[in-house]
Amino acid sequence: MYDVFFQKFNQKIPLTEEEENFVKNYLSPKKLRKRQYLLQEGDVCKSIAFVEKGSMRSYLVDPDGQEHITAFALEGWTIGDLSSFHSEQPTTQSIDALEDCELVLISKSAHDELLRTMPKYETYIRLLITDAYVALQKRTLNMISMSLDDRYKAFIDIYPSITQRVPQHMIASYMGLSPETLSRIRNRINTSK
Amino acid sequence: MLVILCIKFEKTMNTKQTIAVIGATGNMGSGISKSLSKGNYRLLLFANQLSKLQTLEAEILEINPSADIEITACPTESSWEADIIILAVPYAVQQQIAQKIKEVANQKIVISIANPLNETYDGLVTAPNTSAAEELEKLLPNSKVIKAFNTVFAPDFTQPIIAGSQADAFIAGDDQDALQTVNELVITAGFNPIIAGGLHVSRTLENMSLLLIQLNMKNNYNWLAGWKILHQ
Repeated sequence: MYDVFFQKFNQKIPLTEEEENFVKNYLSPKKLRKRQYLLQEGDVCKSIAFVEKGSMRSYLVDPDGQEHITAFALEGWTIGDLSSFHSEQPTTQSIDALEDCELVLISKSAHDELLRTMPKYETYIRLLITDAYVALQKRTLNMISMSLDDRYKAFIDIYPSITQRVPQHMIASYMGLSPETLSRIRNRINTSK
Repeated sequence: MLVILCIKFEKTMNTKQTIAVIGATGNMGSGISKSLSKGNYRLLLFANQLSKLQTLEAEILEINPSADIEITACPTESSWEADIIILAVPYAVQQQIAQKIKEVANQKIVISIANPLNETYDGLVTAPNTSAAEELEKLLPNSKVIKAFNTVFAPDFTQPIIAGSQADAFIAGDDQDALQTVNELVITAGFNPIIAGGLHVSRTLENMSLLLIQLNMKNNYNWLAGWKILHQ
């Protein structure tokens, strides 16, 4: 239930068995089926989700009704609306399952209690958020400075398995492109190989 | 000792919550399942006998064709998927199931509806300084245990307005968010929710039920009876 969660945790900061058992008190295991919502727009994001198995996406819907994917989460990744989680205000995003998932949820109250009582958890969260911030920074810089082809190549380099798990139109949405444009990019890259 | 309970009321959630009803085909389980199937919930129904579950499923879909329900073969699997777990079972079974689902119920809302009556219905098997709900909490210390639906009878779910008044349904628990969530469930079920206090107030609620059951038998209410607080 928590193998991948603790594997990732220990990679950031090693825990003793006793410390793992302490953290387990605060974790909620949740199975979600394909296309089920973890969070719908308008609700407060009350938990951060760690993906033990499966894949998730977060997205928002613009005033024209168009979906824009804001993040993916495969095994070992975390997903949630940090702004809503932190501020306890309604989210503008929705989060649902792309495949049947096993998640590990940490609620706001569990998170606050762990931060208060376990320094190693605070380190884990600091490193998690730092990594996420750096990734977001890279994504922004890539969007501003790179050609479309190079942006796609950079994305695939970091997440090589994603094309097998996620439909192409969703990758296009995440990159802010139409599916046709992404298709052209992929053809260009494949023919130049 | 005066305890002031402050509840912050939020609007109903958009995100559909998954509820596992363990013991769905019992009298109370059926009443709970049928009434909650009208709300924005996905119900996972578990009971020991598949044929009874299938009958229940058909009955629910007849009342409510768009109900999001599924019959399940395992209380642990359904509790793993669930956000809220309702143990619609007698006290002894409640304790057995709790041992089974402990890991997957971690940090989740678990509702105790049990009235721990003795065999002769003239007392409770729990000691005065505890309750079925608190005994459940001892087995599930990391879950948000809530007492609910124990002061209403199964037929009340079909007719929550008795003698012209909507029956009150009392809720007790220590987690404010969980109380709010269960408050919504009680409203969906058709009752007037009353948050009675912390989980220890379950001792009173279970005794209230003992009294109502005894009065029911003495006065032939035919199990269509409930509590109503009169106030200004």
